[in-house]
Amino acid sequence: MRLHFQKPGMFTTIQDAGRLGYQDFGVPIGGALDRAAMQLANLLVGNAVFEPVLEITLLGPSIQVEGSGQIAITGAHLSPMLNGLPFPMNATVQIANGDFIEFGIAVHGCRAYLSVGGEWRVERWLGSTSPLPSMREALLPNNTIRKGASLKVNTRPFPNTLKIEVETQMKMNFQVMQGPEFDLFAPDVIGHFFSNKFKVSAAANRMGVRLEDSLPGPLPNLEMISSGIVPGTVQVTPSGQVIVLLADAQTTGGYPRIANIISADLDALAQLKPGDTVGFSL
Amino acid sequence: MEFKKYGDSALLINFEQVITRGINAEVLALSAAIQAAKWEGVRFVIPAYCSLTVGYDNGSIGYADLCEKIMLIEQELTVEKLSINTRKLSIPVCYEPPYSIDHDELVEVLGMPFDEIIHIHTSTVFHMYMMGFLPGFAYMGKWPEGFSVPRKSIPRANVPALSVGLAGQQTGIYPVESPGGWQIIGQTPIPVFIPHNNEPFLFMPGDEVRFYSISSNLFQQIKEGITEGCFNYEEIYG
Repeated sequence: MRLHFQKPGMFTTIQDAGRLGYQDFGVPIGGALDRAAMQLANLLVGNAVFEPVLEITLLGPSIQVEGSGQIAITGAHLSPMLNGLPFPMNATVQIANGDFIEFGIAVHGCRAYLSVGGEWRVERWLGSTSPLPSMREALLPNNTIRKGASLKVNTRPFPNTLKIEVETQMKMNFQVMQGPEFDLFAPDVIGHFFSNKFKVSAAANRMGVRLEDSLPGPLPNLEMISSGIVPGTVQVTPSGQVIVLLADAQTTGGYPRIANIISADLDALAQLKPGDTVGFSL
Repeated sequence: MEFKKYGDSALLINFEQVITRGINAEVLALSAAIQAAKWEGVRFVIPAYCSLTVGYDNGSIGYADLCEKIMLIEQELTVEKLSINTRKLSIPVCYEPPYSIDHDELVEVLGMPFDEIIHIHTSTVFHMYMMGFLPGFAYMGKWPEGFSVPRKSIPRANVPALSVGLAGQQTGIYPVESPGGWQIIGQTPIPVFIPHNNEPFLFMPGDEVRFYSISSNLFQQIKEGITEGCFNYEEIYG
């Protein structure tokens, strides 16, 4: 099967489980931000759960399909359509030669995942399809979908069709653990952090989510020596801005880390979009 | 050493919070020992100036067990093991325009002629402390005390690839074109990030690095040699 992208969408990349073990060279882990959604998409088409998938952000691509096979779409509800009719979410869908897939408005969530049953013929670097981020554009491997791009998958017959009921309740409260510099923050500031809601700003991407509402002072007045960063780290800038770091974040940073979001809540971070409000609890 | 939980699947080991070769050597030695041990469940390490982050799969190993294992191997680290990496690299840099983008600002903030700044840069033996910021971006230090270089007040949107920058008492090379706030003193023709090589990164933590000045003519020659595949990389080692 070949997918021909007539429109690339706002930001569509080919993601998998990412690359572990190169973080000491400054290489971020990368990979699908909503790993559960990636795994479900692959399960529905009979793939191993960490096979590549398309990660689709808010505005989806338009795809002309050549050849037949199975496709599943999971994660955010971005109004997927198949030949002008609603594309069933969280289900195995038989796709025929000439079918047309497109997306509409974002009903809930931020990132959808599209799987194709079979072997993806795509570039990998250090074992992963995940494009390296830079602040301007993604670097290698060349897996950021552009207008006119084509994607080849060697499909195989998958006899089952599955449909899974997935809860669509958005998570707005995130459970955290105390971060490494938690004790440097004044009790008032910590109180504010836990009792207030924060709005997700427009500066939200695969590297991190910047929150609009700042923490009041006094903030830790220290020049921190750069230290390792892990996904889910919540750091506070000298001006009080709160930034939640995701899988494409730089591997080192120098801002005090007030909290770390627990692993179980990381997938839900992927579904935050600008304008959403979030809170944190211990 | 101080162990801290860093979320539910990483731990942070803080050493004395100073930037010195001695402390950094301890970080790098412990990091290498953890990697060599290949314990089940350890997913990645991030050695930094004076801290070490260890990411683990909390389904395979618990925080307390991992701390205990790390403390045990730390006790076995000897002076010899602290200096595993003895590589010495010599990196050519062209300090002429158009590569010395921040020539004027550097002269102003350091209050000395550019030749003198080049002299400090080429006569200091730098130690590669850590990688971060971008894949293959090596943080090297330190400038002599008293020569701290302030970052640019507004970061540059596009720093050309292989630009050599200064910030604080550090120097570093941008592996790829990127936004950045370091003051640019020159550019090297030597690629520091070669994605499809077996070893994609030129530098390793613990490297001893010296810079030497080359003309823009030689810069072009080396660059062409690299493009044509006839540059002898042995030249930069030793």
